[in-house]
This record gives sequence, structure tokens and C-alpha cells, in this order.
Amino acid sequence: MRFRFCGDLDCPDWVLAEISTLAKISSVKLKLICAQVLRDLLGDPMEYEKILKLTSDAKLESGDVKATIAVLGFILSSAAKHNVDSESLSSELQQLGLPKEHASGLCRSYEEKQSSLQDRLRACSLRLSRLGSVCWRVDFTLSSSELREVNEPLIHLNFNLRDGEHGETAAVPMVLSAEKFRVLLAELKQAQALMNTLL
Amino acid sequence: KLNIDVDAVQRAVEGLTYLLTESSKLMISEIDFQDSIHVLGFSDELNKLLLQLYLDNRKEIRSILNELAPKLPSYHSLEWRLDVQLASRSLRQQIKPVVTIKLHLNQNEDQTAQVLQTDPSTLLHLIQQLEQALGEMKTNHCRRIVRNMK
Repeated sequence: MRFRFCGDLDCPDWVLAEISTLAKISSVKLKLICAQVLRDLLGDPMEYEKILKLTSDAKLESGDVKATIAVLGFILSSAAKHNVDSESLSSELQQLGLPKEHASGLCRSYEEKQSSLQDRLRACSLRLSRLGSVCWRVDFTLSSSELREVNEPLIHLNFNLRDGEHGETAAVPMVLSAEKFRVLLAELKQAQALMNTLL
Repeated sequence: KLNIDVDAVQRAVEGLTYLLTESSKLMISEIDFQDSIHVLGFSDELNKLLLQLYLDNRKEIRSILNELAPKLPSYHSLEWRLDVQLASRSLRQQIKPVVTIKLHLNQNEDQTAQVLQTDPSTLLHLIQQLEQALGEMKTNHCRRIVRNMK
């Protein structure tokens, strides 16, 4: 059976197994647990003690609590990844055996946060490095050991790069003469014009 | 405190270490161990003590020795992105799809990452080769070996 929220592939076995665990929790409490899992997916810390309190009525073991969090995280992030709307998600979850109230509660939480979740996933996508900032300085060379009267402008550029995940910064300093700088500026303006045609 | 030379104590410790690691490495039985140390001419009490020491610590020594084997970097996770190159400084009006992959590897608790780039046809070839490798497990040759190992 192919499911849209799994990317048009079969549903993983472990997700199928945990659906029955989800059914043990009441639908109201499930919606609250969803809210916590969504907080974690959006980058805020999750309040694990609240989840423990909510699951204590259903008498789940600690392994089951972690499995519940994992399966909710998978369903919500996978649905956002494949841009599934909340009605399709609800019907697919019911096909997997999740009771109707549980599925509709889950999908209502999903619908509220779907676009923020997708924005967050877009920001976390693979990116090799980012430009942090550019610093520049223009000097005027008066003379040097080679030639008494130089009288040339000189540009110092410093690009600060930020590596994607670890936030390490690397600095790339360079010095350019006026002609080289004009060429660089012209090329970059052409690239900017091309980018503007796409936006 | 033992009133013996420092050198003698050091040699005794080294000898004991060697005895225990070699015996654990080869996983020798009780009888073989007893026969081996009998040659050394110690008292019966000492032989029994050494045997007990060997049997008690054998499993732990083996698990430590297991971790000393050289390990290659192992797979941790994979991130990918699909881009399309539309223009470059030298050529405009292009359509060139590129897949960028960041392979995260684990080696003895160090995390390293390799960045690779490929075009879609090479990626398809790669997938085909890996599926062929997985398919090898189903051939009669591999099945026979797996059955014999169990």
C-alpha cells in the first residue's frame, strides 16, 4: 500500500506497530503531546515531563513513551516534507488503523503548524556555507620600494563565511586593484540581474 | 610492601597480563589452561587461583580485545539537495541538474563529513551498482555460506 505521507512508498513497519500504541492514549491528550512534538520539530525544547504526565494514564512504559514521540515526529515531519494536506493525512492515518478522533486531532495540530514546519525544514536543508558579512577598506598607495610614485587605489575585502551546522566562521581576506575590482563588480551585477529574473 | 625488587614486580605483572590476554584471545578450555600452567611448577593452590582469575575475567578481556581491531569509518547519515545550474560566468541559458550529497561518517567517535557532487545519470548508475551488491546476498553461493555460518 502506498501512502502519500511516506513519499508514495510503503509505510515503515515500526510506524504501523506504534499506531496501536497511539490509540491507547485519549485523543485530547494525543493532541497535547502533538503540540509538544511540534515544538521540538520547530526548534524549541520539548517539555518531556509534561509528556510523561499525559501518558501516565495510559500506563505506557518508558520505551512506549519514546516510541510515541518518535512516531509522531515521523508522521508530522514526513507529511510536511511531502506537502500532504491535512485531510489526506487524516484519511491515510485512519487507513492505518488510527481511530477517527485521534486522526482528526493530530491533523488539526498539523494544519496549524504546517507552513512553519515547512519553513523550518527549508532552513535546515543542506547548505555548504553561508556568507556572514563583507568588510571593505579603500587605500591609496603613495609609493613603494619598487617605484617612488605609485598613486594607485587599493581595495581590501574580507568575506566572513559561516559553515552550515557548526557555525564555525572562516575569513577570506583579499586585496584587489581598481580594474580587478571593477571586473568583479560587473560580473556580480550580471549574476544579480539573472537572480532577479527568477524571483 | 612485598619486599621484592621493582623490576621483579613489573615482570610479574607483565607475565600475568600476557598469560591472561593470550588465553582469552585463544579462548582455551579449562583443561588446556591448567595443563599449560602446570608446566610452570607453581603450587596447586596458585594454579587454582590462576584458573579462577582466567575464568572470571575471560569475557571482559575478550570484549576489550574486540574493540582493539582496526575499524574503518562507518556510515552515520546522509544529507542531499537537488539543484539546477541555470547560468555561469562563461555560459548563460543552461539547464544542468546537480545532486549535492553530504555523507556523515563515524570513526571511533570522530564525526567527519564528505561533500560529493554528481549529476543524475551517475547517481542512477551508483544506485544500480549498490542494488546489484545487495542482490548478491540472494545468490546460491552467498546463501550457502550464510547457512553454514549459522
